[in-house]
Amino acid sequence: MGVLRLAHVDVRTPDLDLSTAYYSEVLGLSVVRRDDDVAYLKCWDEEDHHSLRLRYDSRIGLDSFTFRVEAEDDLHDLEKKLEAYGCAVRRVSRGEAVGQGESIRFEIPSGQTMELVWELEKTGNLLGKLNPAPMPPPTLPGIAPPRLDHMLINAEEVGESYAFFRDVLGFRMTEQVLDANNHQLGVWLERSHSPHDIAIVNGPNGAMHHFAFWLDDWDHVRKAADILAYNGVQIDQGPTRHGVTRGNTIYFFDPLGIRNEVFTGGYSPDPDFPAITWTEDQFGRGLFYYENVVAQRFLRFHT
Amino acid sequence: MSDRILRLQHVQIRVPDLELCTAYYTEVLGLIQTAHEGDRVFLKCWDEHEHHSVVLRQAPTFGLDHMSFKVAELEDLDHYTERVEGAGIAVKRYARGELGPGWGDAIRFEAPSGHTVELVFGMEKVGNMLPLFNPPPRPGNLVGIAPPRIDHLFIMCEDVEAATSFYCDVLDFRLTEQILANDGHQLATWMERSHTPHDLAIVTGPNGALHHFAFWLDDWNAIREAADLLAFNGVHIDIAPTRHGATRGYTTYFFDPVGNRNEMFTGGYWVDPDFEPITWTEEEMGRALFYYAREANERFFTVHS
Repeated sequence: MGVLRLAHVDVRTPDLDLSTAYYSEVLGLSVVRRDDDVAYLKCWDEEDHHSLRLRYDSRIGLDSFTFRVEAEDDLHDLEKKLEAYGCAVRRVSRGEAVGQGESIRFEIPSGQTMELVWELEKTGNLLGKLNPAPMPPPTLPGIAPPRLDHMLINAEEVGESYAFFRDVLGFRMTEQVLDANNHQLGVWLERSHSPHDIAIVNGPNGAMHHFAFWLDDWDHVRKAADILAYNGVQIDQGPTRHGVTRGNTIYFFDPLGIRNEVFTGGYSPDPDFPAITWTEDQFGRGLFYYENVVAQRFLRFHT
Repeated sequence: MSDRILRLQHVQIRVPDLELCTAYYTEVLGLIQTAHEGDRVFLKCWDEHEHHSVVLRQAPTFGLDHMSFKVAELEDLDHYTERVEGAGIAVKRYARGELGPGWGDAIRFEAPSGHTVELVFGMEKVGNMLPLFNPPPRPGNLVGIAPPRIDHLFIMCEDVEAATSFYCDVLDFRLTEQILANDGHQLATWMERSHTPHDLAIVTGPNGALHHFAFWLDDWNAIREAADLLAFNGVHIDIAPTRHGATRGYTTYFFDPVGNRNEMFTGGYWVDPDFEPITWTEEEMGRALFYYAREANERFFTVHS
């Protein structure tokens, strides 16, 4: 019960045509709806209406991010908890947002807008429900990840944000990075029995570091790097491996500068999983296990 | 409210040669022995935090003693005692440690499929093989295939439909896939609690039988490496590395030295609780089982333990 998984990320782009072309042709998402100033996209294995919303604006940035809750009642329960914490919660009624039913929106302590929703419009994946092939059509362009996986946001006070996600929203910490004074520099939080659904790393309030798509294995990560390089996409890090989460990864930038990741691997934490701690002197290994360097662009550049 | 049943916790299987099987499961599969008490050996995978995920028991025959699922809260044992008794099935309660080393509080009952089902809470934590501070992504001294964890099991029974109803209606499993015969009855079903394609699956066969239990590997390349190790060690491979239609998983099947079928598995997909189940028709059953070969060998249906 409670929060289930990341459902969609809503971002701003100053060039909607270019961003839409990149996410559909290089990443290989499907455009499910295109309005004048908004495009909705999804991955091939997702059953819901969309997992990425691009909105035209003069600057890049994060509009909001949305998690699905497990049951309809959870929305009401979490609304009460959020109000008790002191959040101003806005109910968004069915029909106000494309592809979903009633939702609640609120500002989290680090300044980003978060949304919780239960009802998502089911449009089905590309395979169907009768004798489906195990993979999408080979003609699908680009990297073609099966689904959205997680995101990483910034916060000035990581500890305060962690307490909010833990106490109010029921997230569980899998890993943390501590500085020499035992101050949290980063936390990785989950609801879906994976190493992270959201991570929070020290940085400016309101900022997004990246959002990530799931790939099935390391070989697909390698192939994704080939596709990115072929298309002239700027690769930020990788392909390499994380110490934190144990994941295999590539980071890269969309044409307007929003950081994307493709990710695979990790582990399957139970709710009573004992959290892993990284010390500041091992932060380089925590970030990139092979390189063992604290990459400055990686830490300082965000949306 | 509790998350209820989380995942498969362990299987206890019978083996007529405990020493040989212990050697196979530790040296070829690469599990770690955590205890040996009386006629039982307790094993776990390297990334598992709890005391055991496979128990071998010396017995004149092979097969499944019981399967155990982990529940999220202690009160889930009371909740399911009531539910199972409500279905007219007797339930026995066991205190922590009563069933063996590392064991938590547990209940046991016999499902309509003829299998003993255990639900357990509070298994002893012994830690995985990595430190909780600055851990490397894997231990350096693994032997054999060394899967990180147990994944699912596949059982057999005469009436798949009735058994599936029991697991779904009474134990809250959710159906992800099914094979329907042309007359509409269920030949096989896949069910989950852990948001994966399956924690438990059932195919038509004798009541109480075990088709296989499976370990997780991280990717297809690890399946290929596993097949290399199995062949090198002279293990009888049942199905060489291939792909399932149902679950979309990558797989290789093989037999332990006394004939219990094992599987190495990876892949699949994420499942929301309101996932609409996938249906395979009888004509496409071959593809559902083995997507490339489009048919299953006779042994796959007839050999079980």
